[in-house]
Amino acid sequence: MESIASAQQTGLSLGVARSSPGFGLLGAFLGALLVLFIIGPILRLLWASDPATLAAAAGDPEIRAAIVLTVLTASVATGMAVLLGAPLGYLLARRQFPGRTLLRGVLDLPVMIPHPVAGIALLLFLGRHSPVGGALAAMGLEVVSHVPGIIAAMLFVSAPLVVSGSREAFASVDPTLERVARTLGDTPWQAFRRITLPLAGRGIVTGALLAWGRSVSEFGAIVILTYHPKVASVLIFDRFTLSGLPGAVPAATLLLLVALAVFILLRILEPPAERAR
Amino acid sequence: MIRLEQVSLRAGTFRLTDVSLEVPAGGYALVIGPTGCGKTSLLEAIAGHVPVTTGRIFLQDRDVTSVPPEARRIGFVYQAYHLFPHLSVRANISYGLKDDPAAGRRVEELATMLGIAPLLDRSPRGLSGGEQQRIALARALAPRPAVLLLDEPFAAVDPAMRRMLRRELQDIREREGVTILHVTHDVDDALRLGDLIAVLGNGRIAQAGPPEEVFRYPESAFVADFLGAGTVLKGTLTRTGEREKTTRRFPARFESGGLQLEVIAEREGGAYAVIRPEDVLVSRQPFPDYPRNRFAATVHRVERLGPVANVHLDASGQRLMAAITAATVDTLALRPGDAVSIAIKATAVHLI
Repeated sequence: MESIASAQQTGLSLGVARSSPGFGLLGAFLGALLVLFIIGPILRLLWASDPATLAAAAGDPEIRAAIVLTVLTASVATGMAVLLGAPLGYLLARRQFPGRTLLRGVLDLPVMIPHPVAGIALLLFLGRHSPVGGALAAMGLEVVSHVPGIIAAMLFVSAPLVVSGSREAFASVDPTLERVARTLGDTPWQAFRRITLPLAGRGIVTGALLAWGRSVSEFGAIVILTYHPKVASVLIFDRFTLSGLPGAVPAATLLLLVALAVFILLRILEPPAERAR
Repeated sequence: MIRLEQVSLRAGTFRLTDVSLEVPAGGYALVIGPTGCGKTSLLEAIAGHVPVTTGRIFLQDRDVTSVPPEARRIGFVYQAYHLFPHLSVRANISYGLKDDPAAGRRVEELATMLGIAPLLDRSPRGLSGGEQQRIALARALAPRPAVLLLDEPFAAVDPAMRRMLRRELQDIREREGVTILHVTHDVDDALRLGDLIAVLGNGRIAQAGPPEEVFRYPESAFVADFLGAGTVLKGTLTRTGEREKTTRRFPARFESGGLQLEVIAEREGGAYAVIRPEDVLVSRQPFPDYPRNRFAATVHRVERLGPVANVHLDASGQRLMAAITAATVDTLALRPGDAVSIAIKATAVHLI
């Protein structure tokens, strides 16, 4: 009882302290530690290679091929995730249907599963001797150990980010706005295109950006499904095991630069912030 | 013209049953009822957002019961305005005009009429409640709807703005020739704006008619109580004289607690008596002209409301309210605890 009482008192005094500058300073100090921990390694990596080494790495055909392959496959996977996942996000946000909560849980699974485990599951599901993989192979689409395997692994791990991002984005648009648009002569599709989509757009783009980043960074599932052709993360791991840091660092720095460049570019191109309420 | 024929619907926890109502073309009707009685659901059903389970909805003599909202020619102003946040004020107002070549002129015309022309190129974000209200109104009116539905349009504006908007709505109705159905919980709006009021309670229309009539002759204790038409007393009626041949009415005594009123009644037994505050006369001297329904009373409280005042009285243990001019309050120098005489005309007691 005493400990509870004292805990409550502590809570109370924290509540009072919240308005004092001391609390803000403490928060800023703790936050700064975390920010340094994140920025430190990134800056260290950027500084690890001199420009000449980086230029040499950029000229290495194997590194170039891996980075191009990574960017392309991540973009295709993100496009597929938006095409298939954004409508699902809309349904989850707006419609009541049986099993909705279960479906949300299922869509969160890829985030919880260790990625090599996801890779093994995908291998069992899409391998040549499985019904699905066999059917795809019969249609001429080789998945495992081919480019589609990379895209499949990326889609599996990143699609939930698009679904949850667009679900939140659509949920933040007040359905009454659509009703107003309807009384002003819009069909349901026109109201969606003129009101809902522009207002949810930023949230969907944010989800897609996260999915793209997640795809570029994927390693565990890809290395099991498609070791060859090598995406950048697989190549970097390869070089690290073969020749240690000196072999891995230039490729790692290049991949980091490419990813950062794409992120910054997309953030600049993004439509201005819209608040839906 | 809006005509509802025995409309029933269920929307969430709200339920409307057998709602019938007709608003003539160019008319102004108010639906009034306590918060949460299903008023908004009724508007959404007329707009086509909420399906009706039974009954029919006619707009301009056209059965629109199964017509989608975009084909009903309706303007809808929601309580919270719901301006499109990603569009400018101008784009909000012209939203329903689509490719109309005269859209620009129509927007200017409405913006001038509503005094929002200087805001046209701004974003609706950060505008005041009154400004947003006018923009929402202009947006709803732009495509020249036959019917304008207003959901508690004064809920979030201050009293001065409310008076101004009331006048403007009357102007709009005349200029645009639009039929208005306005939902409110405010009795004042109902008295000042409508040519027709409908009182909604428990998902049904309790009473509909011209406002004066509904206020003067509430058909149920619920309506009388909700409209604040006067003091509602519960009591019993006893016949005291002969039934009149043509009107079938007779003199009777209405007893409620210690209070006895001489009234004209149609039946005996349990009843409610509604006494409007303006029918209660207050004086320092006994009323010589009123042989009946004269009482001694005590002033309980004086509530000044600008030019008029409500005097709360205690008469034989019953609370009554009298509405008299503030000048009379001063002349009589009424203070709580003062003994006064009150008188009520027999014909002014409305029995339910």
